[in-house]
Amino acid sequence: MSAAALLAACGGGSGDESAGSASGGSAKPRRGGTLRVGALGRAGAITRDPHGTQSNESDYLILSLVYDTLTVPGAKPNTLPRLAASWKPSADLRTWRFTLAKGARFHDGSPVTAEDVVFSLKRLRATPSGASRLPGIQAKNITAEGTDTVVLVSDYANAELPLLTRLTTFVVPEGTTDKDIAKAPGTGPFKLDWFRSGNARLVRNDDWYGGEVHLDAIEVKIFESPQAMANALLAGQIDVASNAGAVAARTAASRKDIQTVRRPNDMAMPLVMRTADGPFADPRVREALRLAVDREAMVKQVLSGYGTVANDILGTGDPAYDKNVPQRTRDLAKARKLLEEAGFDTARTYELFTTEDMAGLAESATLLASQLREAGVKIKVVKQESAVFWDKTWLKGDLYTTYWGTNDSVVFFASKTMVSDSGQNEAGWKDSAFDKSYEKAIGTADTARRTELLQQLQQIEYDRSGYLLWGMADGIDLAGSRVRGLPTLPGYGRVQLESAWLAS
Amino acid sequence: MAGQLTPDTTTPAASPLTAERRPARTPAPLLVRAGLVLLKRAALLAALLALVFVTVELLPGDAAKATSERGETAADLAARRELLGLDRPVLERFWDWMTGLPTGDLGTSARGEKVTDLVSGAFPNTLLLGGIALLLTAVLSLTLGCWAALRPGSRLDRAVSGTATAVLALPEFVLAVALVLVLSLWTGWLPAVTLTDAGGSPASWDMLVLPVLALTVPQVGWNTRIVRAALADEARAPHVETAVLDGLPPRRILTHHVLPGALPAIAAGLATSTGMLLGGAVAVETIFNYPGIGSVLASAVTDRDSPVIAGVTALTGAVITGMLLLADLVRYLLTGGRR
Repeated sequence: MSAAALLAACGGGSGDESAGSASGGSAKPRRGGTLRVGALGRAGAITRDPHGTQSNESDYLILSLVYDTLTVPGAKPNTLPRLAASWKPSADLRTWRFTLAKGARFHDGSPVTAEDVVFSLKRLRATPSGASRLPGIQAKNITAEGTDTVVLVSDYANAELPLLTRLTTFVVPEGTTDKDIAKAPGTGPFKLDWFRSGNARLVRNDDWYGGEVHLDAIEVKIFESPQAMANALLAGQIDVASNAGAVAARTAASRKDIQTVRRPNDMAMPLVMRTADGPFADPRVREALRLAVDREAMVKQVLSGYGTVANDILGTGDPAYDKNVPQRTRDLAKARKLLEEAGFDTARTYELFTTEDMAGLAESATLLASQLREAGVKIKVVKQESAVFWDKTWLKGDLYTTYWGTNDSVVFFASKTMVSDSGQNEAGWKDSAFDKSYEKAIGTADTARRTELLQQLQQIEYDRSGYLLWGMADGIDLAGSRVRGLPTLPGYGRVQLESAWLAS
Repeated sequence: MAGQLTPDTTTPAASPLTAERRPARTPAPLLVRAGLVLLKRAALLAALLALVFVTVELLPGDAAKATSERGETAADLAARRELLGLDRPVLERFWDWMTGLPTGDLGTSARGEKVTDLVSGAFPNTLLLGGIALLLTAVLSLTLGCWAALRPGSRLDRAVSGTATAVLALPEFVLAVALVLVLSLWTGWLPAVTLTDAGGSPASWDMLVLPVLALTVPQVGWNTRIVRAALADEARAPHVETAVLDGLPPRRILTHHVLPGALPAIAAGLATSTGMLLGGAVAVETIFNYPGIGSVLASAVTDRDSPVIAGVTALTGAVITGMLLLADLVRYLLTGGRR
C-alpha cells in the first residue's frame, strides 16, 4: 500500500523530468554555482576505469557525470534514453537497434560514432565481469550499422534488454588504451577539471546534447565514513552528503537548514532461506518464517523508520511491481502450525549468517532472530567478516542476509537470482513454473501481456521463493538549504545531478 | 592495521645502541655504526614485508574475489586472478614486488591503479599531520615536564603528572569525536573535516588543527611522564647534587646539568611516539576524513591488496626506522664519548 503511494510520488513528467527530483521542482532553475558533493569511497579502492569494478560511490559518481551510458534509470518507465536516443527490437526480441543521440560529442569536440560505442561495449564485455554486465550478449554480436546505430544481438529473446545498458555502458572514444583510460574524454554533462586521490572538480559541458545543465561546477569529495560526511555537511563544508544513511539523517533531523532527501526502494536486505536442501527446503517452513516476522517493527527499528514494508517480492520499484498481491502480516499462530505440519525441528538452534557490509544489515539479522524466536524458531546470529561471508556463505548457506541496490526491476532479480540456472541463485531455488513464466515474460513484446506474465511470476515468488523481504530501505541524501533538483530515484539513480541547481 | 605498525615500535629494545649495550670505550666511526644499524633495520623491514604478503595470503578470500562484482563466475574469477598475478606462488609475487622497490616501483593495486599514485598524495599528508603532532608533543611535553620537575612534589607537579596519566589513556577516536562536537559543530570555530584541493593537500591550514590535537594530546600525556621521570632520575646523579651544593639557580641546574643527561631517554620516548602517532593516524584520519595513509591502508586490508599494504608498510617502516635511528644518534652523541 505504501509502495503505491511512493511510486505515484515518483511518476509523472517526461524526458529528464521523469527522473523525479526533490524540492523546488516548480521554481525556475537558477544557472550558476558550484555544488560540493560528498560521496562514500575508500582511498585504496579508487579506480578511474569506467569499465572497472567501482566499489567507491565517489568514483561512480564522477564517472557518471563525465561519461554517458546508453540508457539511464528512470521512475516510469525504469529505462530512459541517454546516449541512445531510441531503440527498437526485432520481432523475435533478440536483435536490438540503438540509435545515438543527435549532436552527441566528446569533450574534445569530436562527434560520437557507433564505432565508439561498439568499442566501449566490447571493452566492457572483455572485463572479468563482462558476462554478467551484458548477459546474453557476446562480443561478436555487438556491431555498428552506419554512424549512428549500434546493433546488439542477444543469445535469447529479451524484452528488457535496454535495462541492461543503464549502469555500466560508459562510452569512451574508440581506440582508448588502458594506459590512457583515465584521460579519455567523455560525453557527459560535466567535463573533468581535475582528479586527485578520489576527489574531483567537474565543470559544466555547455555543449551537452542532453539538455541544459544549471551548475557551473560540481566538486566531488571522497569520504571514508558516513559520520565524517554528515559532519562536513552540518559544518557547511559540503552541500550534499550523498547516500548518507539513516543514522546521519537522524542526527540532522533537528537542523532546519538541512534537507533530507528520501529515495524510496533504494536497498533491499532480504533474508535468504535455502530451498535446495537443509532445514528450510520445505516451502511451509519458509512460509512460516515469512509469517513470523513483524515487518513494521523491522522498518521502525532497523531502518529508523526510513523505509517501507515489503511483501517478499523483489524489484519493488518496478512500474510492473504487483501491488495487488495481499500484504503478508504477522501471524504467529499460523506460523507455528505450519512449522508443526512440516515437522520442523524446533529443538535445534539455527545459525543465521550476516555481515556489517551495509548499515542496518547485522541489526536486521539480530531483530529477525528475536522475532522468529517468538514463533519457536531458535536462531543464533553469526557475524562474518565481509570477505569470509562472500567466500564461504553466499550462495551456499542455509540462512543468511543479503542486500541488493538495484530494485526497480522485477526481471533483474528473476534473471539474476531466481531462475533455476541463474548465476547468483542465492537460495538454490529451482521452480519450473517460475522459469516458464520468466521465459514467457521476457519473450513477450506486448507490454500489457508482459505485465500480466510478470504478475504470475511475482505470485510464484511470493508463494514459495527462498526470500523473506521484510522491507525496503530508503536511500537518504542530506543537503543544504540552497540545493534544488536532487534526484529521488533509488540506487544509482542518485548520481543524476545534471538537473541539480543552487538557489540564490 | 595498526597491528602492523606495532612491531616496529618495539625495536628500540633490539637496537644495539640502546642502554643494554653501551657503545664500546673506543667508539667505532659513527657512520659505520649507523650504516650497520640501518642495514639491520632494513633486513627487519624486508622480513616484515614478506610477513605482510604471507599474512594477506593466509586471510580468507583474496584480492580477485574482494574486487570482483557479484555474480562473476568461477571462470571470471580465474581470469581476474591471472590478471592480478594471484595464480603465482606468494613468495614469487613478493620477490617481484621487492625487486621493483629499489626503482621506486611499488606495484599495481588490485583495481589497476599504480600504488605510487595511491600513496604519493596520502603519505606526505600523513607525514605533515604526524610531523606537526610530534613537534607539538616534543615542545609541550618538555615544557610541562620541566615545569613540574622544577617544583618536585608540589601541587603543580602532582597536577601535571595526574593529568598526563589521564590523557595518555584517552583513545584518540574518543578525543576526536569530542573535539569535532565542541570545536566545530557547536561553536563553529573550526572545520569538522579535512577537504583537499587540486594538489591533494588539505585545502586550508585550519583543517589540520583538530586532527593534530586529537593525535597530540595522548602523546603529550605519555611523553610528559617520560620527561618528568627522566629528569627525576638524572636529578639524583652526583654531578647534579654537586651543582645544587654549589648554589646554582634551579633553572640553570635544569638546563645545564639535568636535561642533557635526560635527553636520550626523552628522545627514545619521542621516537616511540612516532610509531604510535602513525598508528593513531589511522583512526583519526577516518574521523576527520584526513586524506592520509590510514584510509589507504584500511581499504587495502579489506581488499586483500598486498602491493598496497606492503607499499604503505614500507614507507611507514622507513619513517619509523629513520626516527629510531635519529634517537639512537642523539643518545650516542650525548653519551658515547663520556661514559
